[in-house]
Amino acid sequence: MTGHEGKAPSAVTFHGSWTDFAKIALPNVLLTLVTLGIYRFWATTRERQYLWSQTRFIDEPLEWTGRGIELFIGFVMVFFLLGLPLVVMQLVINGLVFQGKPIIAGVIIFAMFLAIFYLTGLAYFRALRYRLSRTYWRGIRGGSDDQGFGYGWSYIWKNVVAAIPLYLLYPWASMSLWNERWSKMSFGPYQFESNADWKALMKRYLLFYLVPFLIFVGAVALGISAASAGGGGDPFNTAGGVAAIVAIFIGILGLYIIMPIAALLYYSKFMRVAIGSLRLGDLEFDFTARSPDWILFWLANLAILMLAYGFAFAPFSLLIATDPTQFVQQLEAGESILSVGLVIGILIAIIPLAFATSIIRYRSWKFFVVHTEAFGEVNLDRMTQSTTDSSSHGEGLLDAFDVGAI
Amino acid sequence: MTTFFDAWHFDGQSAVRRKVEIQTIGSQFFLLEQERRHGPFHFDELRFLEAKGDSKVYGLSGKDGWRLGIRGHVPTELAPLLPASKTYGGLIDRLGLGKASFVFAGISAAVVAVVLLSPQWLAPLIPSSVEAKLGNALVGDFGGRFCDTPKGKAALAKLTRSLDDHPEDLQVEVANIDMLNAVALPGGKVLLFQGLLSQAKSPDEVAGVLAHEIGHVRERHVMQGLLRQMGLAVVLGGFDGSGGSTLNSLLSTTYTRDSEREADDHSLKALKQANISPVGAADFFNRLASMDGSRDLKDRQARTMASYTSSHPLSDERRKLFENAVVKGSAYKPALTADEWQELKTMCAQDKDVKSGWGFDIE
Repeated sequence: MTGHEGKAPSAVTFHGSWTDFAKIALPNVLLTLVTLGIYRFWATTRERQYLWSQTRFIDEPLEWTGRGIELFIGFVMVFFLLGLPLVVMQLVINGLVFQGKPIIAGVIIFAMFLAIFYLTGLAYFRALRYRLSRTYWRGIRGGSDDQGFGYGWSYIWKNVVAAIPLYLLYPWASMSLWNERWSKMSFGPYQFESNADWKALMKRYLLFYLVPFLIFVGAVALGISAASAGGGGDPFNTAGGVAAIVAIFIGILGLYIIMPIAALLYYSKFMRVAIGSLRLGDLEFDFTARSPDWILFWLANLAILMLAYGFAFAPFSLLIATDPTQFVQQLEAGESILSVGLVIGILIAIIPLAFATSIIRYRSWKFFVVHTEAFGEVNLDRMTQSTTDSSSHGEGLLDAFDVGAI
Repeated sequence: MTTFFDAWHFDGQSAVRRKVEIQTIGSQFFLLEQERRHGPFHFDELRFLEAKGDSKVYGLSGKDGWRLGIRGHVPTELAPLLPASKTYGGLIDRLGLGKASFVFAGISAAVVAVVLLSPQWLAPLIPSSVEAKLGNALVGDFGGRFCDTPKGKAALAKLTRSLDDHPEDLQVEVANIDMLNAVALPGGKVLLFQGLLSQAKSPDEVAGVLAHEIGHVRERHVMQGLLRQMGLAVVLGGFDGSGGSTLNSLLSTTYTRDSEREADDHSLKALKQANISPVGAADFFNRLASMDGSRDLKDRQARTMASYTSSHPLSDERRKLFENAVVKGSAYKPALTADEWQELKTMCAQDKDVKSGWGFDIE
């Protein structure tokens, strides 16, 4: 049975609409707010159910079977097994420093740093495994037989090696970790294979790496020409003054525009190389988003966030701007009433921000799906159920570290 | 018995999609394919998964990936045997979104109220031995930065005695750090920083500040504050990002300010009982006020905002509070004699063993 029709434009398609998604996201925001944030695990689950169900692979949609309670239990466990001990250790370290034992305190800080480093790597692995094990297609799911404990160590040593030559080996570390992570995942009876080549990333990485130096050199050169051309007088009227302003302008532009764009150029290449080298059985994948796509995607997200911040802070500025004296009088008359007002104001400000981040999650998923391609054949008779351990998932402590999985 | 055509099925074993008929026999059913029969399955093991377009999808307990999808109108004979649809699941579906939101908001408000109010009666229940251990764990001997000369300590003990009826539960120390500050810590520990002693013009000023910190100890503010902060961190921990921490600091700041007022009141009472003039403390706050600029703020709005966002009442306000407490014509006596004051002020300079500064090599 052939899954992929030669004429089909794409094997992976997205059929959702953001208005339908908003009907899920808005009640999610409301419920998250009135439960002091606890509902967000169920909110995430409802979002994913929608996004997965609107994503078709060949002819059938994906299905998300994860549950809110799994994420919630994971969060509670992380809070008690990791969050609280960290707070206690903080107090112990403070005490040790005050008692004049900075060396012991330093050793403990280093050990904590290592532990958090290890757990971060473990969490990336676990999050990917959790997501695959909760993703079904035609009743078949993914997963991994590996617990990810070894991956945690790889995460530490590869990042350390990358850092030694002044982070020049970062592309090697991230690509080799991507290969290691995905090679341990499976879907149905098939193991993922990934052997992406990090050297393809080096040109873009060097560009990103050198951008700060180039900006710095440019700014200094302009500054020097400014100093030589100017030499006194009204700084805004001389050529030197203009050059100085241009130099400052380039510096700011570099920091807020050029740096993120250079990072996106690298990331765009990374995703194309990484997904392009992924295989599952007879399937091969591709990721078609080029740098301009990424830049537009990023700028639109930025605009959505700005808009949300505008909405979030409008009530506050109105409150103060319309009648400042009355505001002050109220403040002096009854602080407690105003405290309540401020607290409610902040709670209301959360609404547009939370909604905007939901929409950005929707856009991210759509961006990812729309640009993913798959080629090859799926033999449905041979696509049998995954034998990976699924019972331990969800209850497991670190499944809940659910950080960006891909 | 019903046969029914428009259903599809994944058996969870392979990815093959099967067109099936549902054959019901009492509380059980079979799925009939062209030449195969799947089952029997029990209706009470069916779980509702999702509604997609005009179809409903069900799973089966204990069968990984097993799916049954029914498209279009469900026959009336079959409908009561199938599990009910869910949108949000559980409680929210039963109450409806609006009602559930009100219930949750009510519970949340109650929980926050408990976290804010309960430390007032919880803090006194914590045994003082536990508090003392916590205080020791926090600072210990401050890395040898506590100043100690017999005469200086005696002067400090005299000052403490005059301000509190049970000086034996207090541990007042002078820390050899050049900072204009004093703190109350768990376990009745009060630290006066050397910077405060050097800046003070009279022992009465130090008495006012010390009585204020003793006020924090006596009103159990330290443990209350710790409990409240921890409680809020837990309760608002569900929010991600900065929303939770902003709310946390806003809520706890209100209480910090109240505590400061209570400690000031305690200080005034203690000074009165010891017959020490509040003028010294007023002078001290006067100097602080010129440092934090609150005296020069002409604009009422800016001034109120400054007071609102800071955890302490404005120094200028406190100066007035202490100035107003002065009783004209009373025969106040100085908190310490000139000799005692000199010994206290120079205790850190006289102590040869004491370490100074923040340690390491910041000095």
